[in-house]
Amino acid sequence: MRSSSRVWRIVSFLSFVTTLLLLCGFIYAVKDITYPSASSGMELVPSTDQKDQPAVSPGQTGIVVIGDSLAKGTGDDEGLGFAMRTVQLLQEKDKNQEVRLFGNLGINGLTTDSLSEELKEKGVQYMLKEANVILLSIGGNDLFNGGQALENGDDLPTAKELNASIDAASVKLKSVAKQIVAINPDATLVYIGLYNPFSDLQEMRSIGNTAAARWNMLALETFNPYRNALVVPTYDLFAGNVSKYLSGDHFHPNGEGYQQIAERIVQSLN
Amino acid sequence: MNSIIPLIKNETVKMVRKKRFYVILLVLLVLVPMFTYAQMKISQRNQEKFGSDWRRSVQQAITDNQNSLGSARIPEEWKKFRQVYIQQMKYYLDHDVNPQQPGAVTFTREFMDNASSLFIPLLIMGIGSDIVSSERTAGTVKMLLTKPVRRWKVLLSKLITLIMFVSLTVVSTFVICYGISGLVFGYQGFDMPVFAGFQLQGSNVDLSAVHALPQWLYLFMQMGLIWFVGVVVALLAFMISVLVRSTAASIVIMMAALIAGSILTNMASAWTSAKYLFMVNLELTHYLSGTPAPIEGMTLGFSLAVLAIWGIASLVVSFTVFTKQDILN
Repeated sequence: MRSSSRVWRIVSFLSFVTTLLLLCGFIYAVKDITYPSASSGMELVPSTDQKDQPAVSPGQTGIVVIGDSLAKGTGDDEGLGFAMRTVQLLQEKDKNQEVRLFGNLGINGLTTDSLSEELKEKGVQYMLKEANVILLSIGGNDLFNGGQALENGDDLPTAKELNASIDAASVKLKSVAKQIVAINPDATLVYIGLYNPFSDLQEMRSIGNTAAARWNMLALETFNPYRNALVVPTYDLFAGNVSKYLSGDHFHPNGEGYQQIAERIVQSLN
Repeated sequence: MNSIIPLIKNETVKMVRKKRFYVILLVLLVLVPMFTYAQMKISQRNQEKFGSDWRRSVQQAITDNQNSLGSARIPEEWKKFRQVYIQQMKYYLDHDVNPQQPGAVTFTREFMDNASSLFIPLLIMGIGSDIVSSERTAGTVKMLLTKPVRRWKVLLSKLITLIMFVSLTVVSTFVICYGISGLVFGYQGFDMPVFAGFQLQGSNVDLSAVHALPQWLYLFMQMGLIWFVGVVVALLAFMISVLVRSTAASIVIMMAALIAGSILTNMASAWTSAKYLFMVNLELTHYLSGTPAPIEGMTLGFSLAVLAIWGIASLVVSFTVFTKQDILN
């Protein structure tokens, strides 16, 4: 029975040591979870993989999209949105250039206010810094509340209410523009203008048109001072084509609508 | 005390001779490469999408989760998970720490986290479920009991052996996982920082006590918690093994309980008294990582108490039944 003696010695030794270790680990874990304290733990060494060279190498276009559901691409059955469609079009246009979508930071229902908060996030700032083209879509939720009035059958906004929202939101748009340019002054900033999603509704046609036009005017004024910023109009695209370019929710563009916006963006770049 | 050591030795040698433990090692050696390969594929795809830039991929994950929060279709409990996740990821970004720095240690940490509620308990069941019942099936229990040793000592020796092998199973899982995944991801990452101490209040995360731990310490604590879960599962399997004559039946009972647990954890938030079941409390490691518990009101202390009560109860049942029971056939 020599071999069984050896087995016993090895197994008993190993299991004794491991049991003891695991028991210590268990006690330590219970202590750390029950009484967590910020002062315990290790010092953080600043990470060493900070890049010296910019993320975008020559011959590369890095696009970051930020803003509301339009930026995200809500309503596009193919899930591309104007973001991916712009990338595709740019790539087709210039085969030598490598066009990449670095990220899509579009969040459904984002208003100018919440975008301003988002822009304070370190991760968002990091992403914007890496891009050389920033596509921005914001304001639609401030004005039309994401088309929810229409969906819920609530009262549609009156001209007076719309004007009030425009006044408030345009001030915030100014600070958003300032924030983005401060984060990345070198990137081309493209603002996607608003369209009137209600242009086929009798009672909203003219009110909505006036609101969208006024907003776009103010947006133009907002981005005018910045050398690398431009405003891409979409107002005229949708004016007579609501049924063709809007998706089922009657607020967001459909795939075809996003394609049209993307073409506008590509035309305006370079 | 003198007479128990030879008994344990006897049981240990039996355990090794019956090759139970080799089966466990074999299962690990087959499965871990599969998980490693799957993980490698995932990181390759991320690499294509985000390049080597982890900050971008973390921020995109945050945005994607933020988007799903707005949807009315997503159940409230899931939103809580995502809200917590978002806050934790933001914390990682704010402190410029990569939450998923590639490496064998990170892989092992995540593997252990996922294995703690089902995979490792299943392995432990494999050694625990037949430790008493097999003696019955084989008829050797009479041999054991005719020795001039008290019955409870016989049972205790089996129990101690079982716990010894629970420890060995947990540690072997770590060793095999680290060894194999290191071939692909590299063996680095022991001193990489991991954050612990996220205190959850509903969907809010209290960050005041968050502290960074080196990953080796995190793993050390994680394995300690898994070991505790393993011991409780072993005690339950042990009791079933005493109560049920057939090994197959005892394996099926334990397995059904464990799998029911993993299903319940996903849907039990409405049925709050499910939190008193042992199988809902197996994910102790989630308290370490700061993942919300499946049912409101569950804390580490609560889960430990529930598991301890189940463990002690099964011990009492095992010993009472085994010492009183008539051994027939």
